Amino acid sequence: MSRDNRIGFQGIPRGRVPANRRALPWLTALVIVGILFGVSGLPAQKSKPQEYEVKATYLYNFARFVQWPSSSAAAKSDSFAICVLGEDPFGRALDTIVAGESIDGKAALAKRVSKPQDAVSCRVLYISSSEDSRLKEVLAALDKSGVLTVSDIPQFSRRGGMIQFVLDGNSVRFEVNLTAAESAGLTLSSELLKVAVTVRRNSLSGD
Amino acid sequence: MFTDYSISKKLTWMNMLVSGAALLTACVAFIGYDLATFRAIEVSNLSTQAQMAASNSVSALLFDDPRAAQNTLSALKTAPNIKSAGIYRSDGHPFAVYWRDQGRQVPELPPVPPSQTEAYRFGGNQVVLVRSIVSEGKHVGIVYMVSDSQMLNARLRRYAGICAIVLAGSLLAALLVSSMFRRAVAEPIVHLAETARAVSRDKNYSVRATPSGSGGELTVLVDAFNEMLVQIQERDGALQKGRDELEQRVQERTAELESAKKEVEEFSDSILQAKEELERASKFKDQFLSTMSHELRTPLNAVLGFSDMLADERYGTLNDRQRRYVGHIHTGGTHLLKLVSDILDLSKIEAGRMEIALEDVSIASAFGEVLSALQPLADKKSQSLIQNVEPSWCVRADATRFKQILMNLVGNAIKFTPEVGRIELVARQVEEQVRVEVRDNGPGIPSEDQQRIFDAFIRLAQSGEATEGTGLGLAITARLVELHGSKLQIESKPGDGTCFYFSLPHVATAPVEPARATIATPLADKSPRILIVEDNAMMGQLIQSLLKSSGYETLRCDQPERATEMAAEHKPDGITLDLFMQPVDGQEVLLQLKKDPRTSEIPVIVITMADQPGVGTAFGADEYLVKPVDKATLLAAVERCLMSRGGAAPARAILVVEDDASTREMIEELLAACGYSVVVAADGAQARARMAHALPELVILDLVLPKVSGLELLAEWRSNPRTADVPVFVLTSKVLSKQEEQFLRNNAEALFHKQQSWQQALMDQLQRVLKNPPTVKV
Repeated sequence: MSRDNRIGFQGIPRGRVPANRRALPWLTALVIVGILFGVSGLPAQKSKPQEYEVKATYLYNFARFVQWPSSSAAAKSDSFAICVLGEDPFGRALDTIVAGESIDGKAALAKRVSKPQDAVSCRVLYISSSEDSRLKEVLAALDKSGVLTVSDIPQFSRRGGMIQFVLDGNSVRFEVNLTAAESAGLTLSSELLKVAVTVRRNSLSGD
Repeated sequence: MFTDYSISKKLTWMNMLVSGAALLTACVAFIGYDLATFRAIEVSNLSTQAQMAASNSVSALLFDDPRAAQNTLSALKTAPNIKSAGIYRSDGHPFAVYWRDQGRQVPELPPVPPSQTEAYRFGGNQVVLVRSIVSEGKHVGIVYMVSDSQMLNARLRRYAGICAIVLAGSLLAALLVSSMFRRAVAEPIVHLAETARAVSRDKNYSVRATPSGSGGELTVLVDAFNEMLVQIQERDGALQKGRDELEQRVQERTAELESAKKEVEEFSDSILQAKEELERASKFKDQFLSTMSHELRTPLNAVLGFSDMLADERYGTLNDRQRRYVGHIHTGGTHLLKLVSDILDLSKIEAGRMEIALEDVSIASAFGEVLSALQPLADKKSQSLIQNVEPSWCVRADATRFKQILMNLVGNAIKFTPEVGRIELVARQVEEQVRVEVRDNGPGIPSEDQQRIFDAFIRLAQSGEATEGTGLGLAITARLVELHGSKLQIESKPGDGTCFYFSLPHVATAPVEPARATIATPLADKSPRILIVEDNAMMGQLIQSLLKSSGYETLRCDQPERATEMAAEHKPDGITLDLFMQPVDGQEVLLQLKKDPRTSEIPVIVITMADQPGVGTAFGADEYLVKPVDKATLLAAVERCLMSRGGAAPARAILVVEDDASTREMIEELLAACGYSVVVAADGAQARARMAHALPELVILDLVLPKVSGLELLAEWRSNPRTADVPVFVLTSKVLSKQEEQFLRNNAEALFHKQQSWQQALMDQLQRVLKNPPTVKV
């Protein structure tokens, strides 16, 4: 998508800047920015991303703000796997996002796993709501495995999960259980924490 | 622009301008540089801030958290230069925005070139910087920042202020410095200029420019100027001195010249005096010569003329003794006349008064004249005279004197050559000249005598028997030849004859002398008689006097009715007739005249007021004249009438004007002897009266006359148309000047000198001029 933008940007004829830009500086700015990013019309309004499309993107984005311990199995793997445990709510969205991408020099790929044990080699694991019932076992299975756990399951961050999606109106936000992440040997960037709705520490003792 | 300024002003201006320009340039350059640097720093600061904002807002963008981004931008509150800032998502949506003051608008953003991550633009009072936000090599949005350039402007103002202060300070300093310069540079120059002006204005070369003492070129200039003034002063002095000396010298010279002039004037006065004396002497001499010539010749002429007449026995026969005595008288007189002439000639030559008029003279005709004149003498001694000359040859000579020379030489030769001798007159060409020789076969002259014979009064001993001659002939001849620029030479051996010769310039052809045409008027032996028929007394008198003065005999007829009768009675040779008369008119008279056989042959000249020639001639008139009639017309008409009837014009008298009674009587006798009627006048006044009364046939005029001179008379007559055509012979003993001779040549028909034997020549000329000689009265 960004590559397309660049192509679109390159194609801007400079002469197309409206002559009456002084009169309508705000609109002009919008148009220019729109053109700049290769967006025609108002695509954000027209095809507002589905909740799970956003969440899929977030899954991918989290990877940028997380440092994995080099001893973890995932770190040793050739690929950078983003896994889904349980019922897959993303459809083709996740696959589309990771296709052709690479993180830390490793090719990103989307993986579906059915057992927590299969998810050890994953960097990021989305635990589907279908696993709510056996969440305890799942988290236990992944303890100290160095896998970033993400889920929609309510109280996930309180229950030992690392990142829990929450909805704030229409926008997708998230809570972070920093203690859980650190105990798993992961380091979360302050940048990530900055945008988190809530950052929990020592939640286990409270749980 | 500064050309009119004084040098000190120029200097001040120069200093101010130079320092001002230098400072201004420096200030502008410095400010420019500082501004550029400041801008660069500002852009760099802005870039750093944008970079920080960008990296701090990556997560906010990725996780779509504008609040977080807003927080990040809010941190910019600590940066006072940031006016506004904002973040856009990569899809172009505004994500977060920051304004330091509310209500500001989003600025126009510069596009970021694809190869770069940043772009900025200066505009208005602000800098806009745009930076793209990149995460993991991916473009996730842009951040922009606007920094106002208030600080820049403030800085600029500050700099401008500093510059102005510095400029003012330095100009002040320049002013000070230039005032110092002025003292050092301008003042000496101004002083120099004023001095120069004073010098040129007052011409006072003694002033000096004060040396400035500063050294350098100005001092050199002042010194040089002063030096120049010194030189000018010196030269001025020298010039003045020179002028004074010159003036003095001029005065001295003027004085010298003055005295010299005075001397010259005195000298020239004395010369003038001497000249006047000389002239007086020379005039006196001329007068003496002329008088002598006249006074001596006049009585001699009488002696010769009357002795001649006596010898002719015209007034009774002479006995032998008487005849012999008369012959002696004549011979003696002739000799005396010759002697007088020779003495006068010689003294004229000696005095340098003899003038020569050179003309082209035909040698042949001169020879002819001389030989024919001397032939009688030669005949007496039975000598033969031979001439040998090319007929066309001419020489440049005075004709009279040339003939005189020849006459003397040939005369001498005849005299000194024995009887039956031979005398040759030869002209031969020698180079460009003609050599004239007179050769005889006489006894010859010894060489020791050959030069002496040219001296005056020398006569050779052996010629004793031939006592004739004055002894002056050869002397005069030699002098005359010398006057022609030649020399008379002699070639002779005793017993072998003598040859005298001289050379004259040769002229190729002889001019053809046209013979003087003389209108011949036939002369009647008695005056024709004319009858004047005219009832108007005054008119009749006029016609009568006109005809009478021309030698006609006239009759007056006042009564026309008696005209025919008078004509028949007096048998006139012609009749003049008026047409308008009372009681019988002219036509009637004419008819009667032509009807009457006694008078029908008499020619009639009609003189009338009416211009109708046809009327008169129709009745048989010969001439028809219209009044007023002038004399020439009347006379011409009368003469025509007379000639048509075989008649002739009246014989008119010859007027002899001569004061000397004996000469007058002699001429009268001569003319009367030839049948001419003679009227005489004893002086100029009488001559004038006679001429006025009646025109003579001819005048024989002496030049030296009491009361009115002959020359005056001649001039008078020639200028009057009435008398202009009367021939005049001049007979005089006067020594003529060139002018007089020229005048006579132009106005007189012939000239005779009393000192020569003129009688025969005069009679010859008279006959030539009057053509029809009168019959001698019996």
